[in-house]
Amino acid sequence: MEHLTQLVVSESELGNIARILGRLTMETGGSHVLLLDKSGQLVSAQGQTDQRDIIALGALLAGAFSSSRQVAEILGEKDFRHILQQGVHESIYTSLIGEQWLLVVVFDRQTHVGLVKVLARKSAEDLERVLERVRSGGAQIKDKVVNVHFRDSVANTIDKLFQD
Amino acid sequence: MALINVASREIHCKIVYWGTGYCGKTTNLQYIHRQAPQNARGNLLSVATESERTLFFDFLPLDLGNVHGFRVRFHLYTVPGQVLYERTRIAVLNGVDGIVYVADSAQEKLEENYQSLVELETNVRQMGKDLATFPFVMQWNKRDLPDAVPVAVLDRYLNRRKASAFEASAVNGQGVFSTLRAICKGVMARL
Repeated sequence: MEHLTQLVVSESELGNIARILGRLTMETGGSHVLLLDKSGQLVSAQGQTDQRDIIALGALLAGAFSSSRQVAEILGEKDFRHILQQGVHESIYTSLIGEQWLLVVVFDRQTHVGLVKVLARKSAEDLERVLERVRSGGAQIKDKVVNVHFRDSVANTIDKLFQD
Repeated sequence: MALINVASREIHCKIVYWGTGYCGKTTNLQYIHRQAPQNARGNLLSVATESERTLFFDFLPLDLGNVHGFRVRFHLYTVPGQVLYERTRIAVLNGVDGIVYVADSAQEKLEENYQSLVELETNVRQMGKDLATFPFVMQWNKRDLPDAVPVAVLDRYLNRRKASAFEASAVNGQGVFSTLRAICKGVMARL
């Protein structure tokens, strides 16, 4: 049976990610910084995240980014790897990391977008190295978590929650 | 792509409901949102036109809660079904872990159903995957229609892979949860 492609993020790597995002939040003065999987799922977040619906934000931002890549194809561009969405009070800068993750910086008018771009690029390089390690190191960790007992328990929970 | 976050003890999977315009994809999610336990689901987010046709996607996060110390989440999406949104559908399919194909049982929709399935197969292939081995479930929706195409015909015409298929009338809720249970379990089995 073919297994789904997965990314398994270990504790140590999540710690590394948190440090990189925390540093970026501080240096840009952004309200929050998110690391999303390109499918829209949240990997990690730093900053004032409890004031926002982060789950919906992740889904929408990933959708918008994914949509922009289709636009790039129509235009004959190789890719759009960055998006800037400018608001009156806040703006969002999104960049693609290693064809898998999206780095999202939400910042206000106090921060210049040029600074955000430069600092985000540096953080993106660090996160690409993390991503490489995550890609290569996941299988053993996953097998400890996702075993027969786990799958059975999830199946029972699904049956209980979603009854006809 | 399924995400297993060992540090935060979370598992996230993405499921996409696919099908032609007006086949009942959004109706499925609306029913799940209404009927699922409140603590098991989040808000239903719909990026739609003024006439409530899906423009980009619907999004409904499901949370199974704590299972063996891990929080298991399924994120449900629908694609816009109208023909002009072909590229948008590719964007929404990005990173998918399981697919529900919703077929409209109306007689006049049979050819459209087939074309939609061909498009899905093409897109999945371009993602480097094979629908034959991918978590995939079919739903024969709108079984309440008086002129609904017989299930045997739908099965023969659309389900050559013999995927699990469920009869449904999403507007009444019939078959919605059985479809959901099947695709969630299918995704977990392949994790």
